[in-house]
Amino acid sequence: MSILKVKDLKVHFPIKGGIFGRTVDYVKAVDGVSFSIEKGMTYGLVGESGSGKTTTGRAIIGLNKITSGNVLFEGKDITSYRRAKADYYKDVQMIFQDPYSSLNPRKRVLDIVAEPLRNFEKLSRQEEKKRVQELLELVGLSPESILKYPHQFSGGQRQRIGIARAIALKPKLIIADEPVSALDVSVQAQVLNFMQDIQKELDLTYLFISHDLGVIRHMCNRIGIMYKGRYVEEGTTEDIFNNPQHIYTKRLVAAIPDIDPNKRKEHAKFRQEVQREYEQSFNDYFDENGLAYDLQSISDTHLVALPKKG
Amino acid sequence: MWKFTVRRILIMIPQIILLSVLIFIMAKMMPGDALSGLIDPNIDPETIAEQREKLGLNDPWHIQYANWVKDLFQGDLGMSFRYKMPVTELIGQRLANTVWLSLLTLVLIYAISIPLGLISGRYNDTWLDRVITGYTYIGFATPLFIFALVMLWFFGFTLGWFPTGGSVQPGVESGTFEYVMNRIYHMLLPALSMALITTVSTVQYLRNEIIDTKQKDFILTARAKGASESRIYNRHILRNSLLPIAAFFGYEITGLIGGTVFVESIFSYPGMGQLFLESIVQRDYSVATSLTLLFGIATILGALLSDIILSLVDPRIRIK
Amino acid sequence: MKKDDTTMVETVEQPEQINSESPTGLKILWREIVRDKVALISLIFIVLITTIVFGVSLILDQDQIVKVDLLSIHQPPSDEFILGTDYGGRDVFGQLIIGTRNSLAIGFLVTLMTGVFGIIYGLTAGYFGGHVDNILMRILDFMMVLPFLMIVIVFVALVPKYSVWTFSLIMTAFLWMGIARLIRSKTLAEKELDYVQASKTLGSSNLKIMFTQVLPNLSSIIIVNMTLNLAANIGLESGLSFLGFGFPESTPSLGTLLSYATNPQTLQYRWWIWVPAALLILLLMLSVNNVGQALKRATDARQRRG
Repeated sequence: MSILKVKDLKVHFPIKGGIFGRTVDYVKAVDGVSFSIEKGMTYGLVGESGSGKTTTGRAIIGLNKITSGNVLFEGKDITSYRRAKADYYKDVQMIFQDPYSSLNPRKRVLDIVAEPLRNFEKLSRQEEKKRVQELLELVGLSPESILKYPHQFSGGQRQRIGIARAIALKPKLIIADEPVSALDVSVQAQVLNFMQDIQKELDLTYLFISHDLGVIRHMCNRIGIMYKGRYVEEGTTEDIFNNPQHIYTKRLVAAIPDIDPNKRKEHAKFRQEVQREYEQSFNDYFDENGLAYDLQSISDTHLVALPKKG
Repeated sequence: MWKFTVRRILIMIPQIILLSVLIFIMAKMMPGDALSGLIDPNIDPETIAEQREKLGLNDPWHIQYANWVKDLFQGDLGMSFRYKMPVTELIGQRLANTVWLSLLTLVLIYAISIPLGLISGRYNDTWLDRVITGYTYIGFATPLFIFALVMLWFFGFTLGWFPTGGSVQPGVESGTFEYVMNRIYHMLLPALSMALITTVSTVQYLRNEIIDTKQKDFILTARAKGASESRIYNRHILRNSLLPIAAFFGYEITGLIGGTVFVESIFSYPGMGQLFLESIVQRDYSVATSLTLLFGIATILGALLSDIILSLVDPRIRIK
Repeated sequence: MKKDDTTMVETVEQPEQINSESPTGLKILWREIVRDKVALISLIFIVLITTIVFGVSLILDQDQIVKVDLLSIHQPPSDEFILGTDYGGRDVFGQLIIGTRNSLAIGFLVTLMTGVFGIIYGLTAGYFGGHVDNILMRILDFMMVLPFLMIVIVFVALVPKYSVWTFSLIMTAFLWMGIARLIRSKTLAEKELDYVQASKTLGSSNLKIMFTQVLPNLSSIIIVNMTLNLAANIGLESGLSFLGFGFPESTPSLGTLLSYATNPQTLQYRWWIWVPAALLILLLMLSVNNVGQALKRATDARQRRG
């Protein structure tokens, strides 16, 4: 059974205008997205900025209001009561993109990491301190850091504090919203590997949101590609990287830089070809508004947004 | 543009309605009613009761409110209990005095703040700037009424340069040039007291604005092109800094209203502020409420005017 | 858990100077004041005056001071009356001490009450946004355009059981808007930061987030604003008392002493009644403002002196 199931999720933001500030139009940030995540796996959500991937993640955890559609967690529909029913947060947590603004600058590490514990578990001061120290050790920070403030840490260390806070309640699903894109490239790999380690350790499921295909390929078992609020293609990592079907996916995959310098010319030529194909066949893959069509299955694991035939 | 103006006016309407309701409630809370200003106490209670019924004083409050508003539109603000005359007439006598005093103050405010702000901004961190900044610092901390008292004591009594009360010397023929000059002579000290205190925030604003603009890229470009300093200041910096200041005068009205209450009472200047204080002390409440309403409407209109002018000057405000 | 080497590397390279202070905390504000000589002198002056005034007024017999003594009307300063007497033969020096105490006390009280109310109001509007914000801001806008002075005077004249408490309540009712507006705009910016979003996902209630997460980040601007408000409120109270609509008559304030100067004779010939009070208000307001401006510089990194 899948741990998280999203059915036809829509998140629309109203645009206010006119003399009375009435709603004149909507921005369809997420417009009909469906997917499901199996327990223990890492699901990657990819797209350029503005594609709606972050909004999808935030809608699942309840930071954005869902316009329509359903979110099922472990088979239970939690669409409407996410904010009201705080229990949900014991099982679903989030890692934020910006390690600087996601930690309150006025709080000590102890208070930051203990915040979820204080909300859900009645622990004595002593127990709480012990738990926080354990968590810090788990994420590779010294337990003595509990009395420090966030500004005394580097970006990578801060992200670890954020992760310690997210795993404090032993959640089942973690939504990681671009968890490494604000970090130096040298630190990115450390944090990613570490995330994989704790995934095994704590039996976590990730919803991994990123624009970086390299990172996604490294982390994920299954991938969804988003464009303008809609799914373009979904499949296993294998499907997406070795057998991309949609022209948009093809272009994204072609854009990954090749490490082998001998093939550089070849790769550049290939990229130009894909770009040409993209321009020529754009109208075949997108409808008159430039949006993706509904998904069609082309194999057991692979779905592509193609126009209905006939 | 018109969109912002229409929206702004639409916001104002509920404000005026709310203000009128508030004033009406205040008027109802006050001891005495429309009758107490009219009749002499020797008339027997039965006639009074009859009279009350006829005047609608026993009606439910919303009808009374509707009637009150209807009267307002006809310029009927009730009777003054103390002066035995219509409030409208009473206020009319004082209105001109206060309006002239406020106008003179406004003129002085701009006459003081613009040159001081310019000098202080253009030559910032010179001794001249420090003197001006020092003045704004002290002026910001000084309560108007203390400053006015000191002005009255020093220029009015000790030096005897200015009259210490009234709006015009008795016996001066109205309508003559001498009369006008005498009026201004009487207004000068109160207006100056008010202006010297209220002007400091404008001076500070102008100074900061000029110092900020001075380092902007478009000024550096102008300078690099070889434009003379005076041209830079007159053509580029002033245009950017002065317009918002010109628009502030609507907001100044709020401050001026508070100011006139103090200044008119200290300089015994027969304006609306003084009338207001008198009417409260003498429990002439219909006058007090009418004045509050008038001042309230003036404040609302002042804010409206400034908002609209500012939206003309600064397009960023319109996008809201 | 077995940590691999890459994880260990990061653990070691922690910043060297471990100073466990909040980065934008009260320490910086305090440091700025100590560095700014004028502000420091002002602060010492305020503390000194407050201590003297509250200390001496404990010794002074207040009933004795406000008692009318027709035999010693308008006496100039002498050994018996350090600052002479007023039109009721009352000791001006005693009134000055008690008046300063009362003015300071009401200044603090009103600042505190407007602060608490304004902070709650502004936090609510800014944090929830949307319709809540819209409605609250419309009410605030309306309060802003009321002719403050007149309305307060009318209420002071109207309230039946008039006391120091009702006076502070009336002042508070019409003075909370400035700080509320400031807090609202800061909260609007603050709530977009991820730490607020994170708190939501960690299961903290809105109330908890508002007061334990957002509020501490606004503490410096609150302190600055309340300091400047304190100066303004002392001035306002003395102004209202000067007009006769401040404290009830049994409770002298600095404004009460100044109101005697509306009598031209007193203004011209009996300086001892009003000049000390005027000077004291001026110095107090100037000092509080100095401290406030120094604090303001401290919160604005651009203007910080070092």
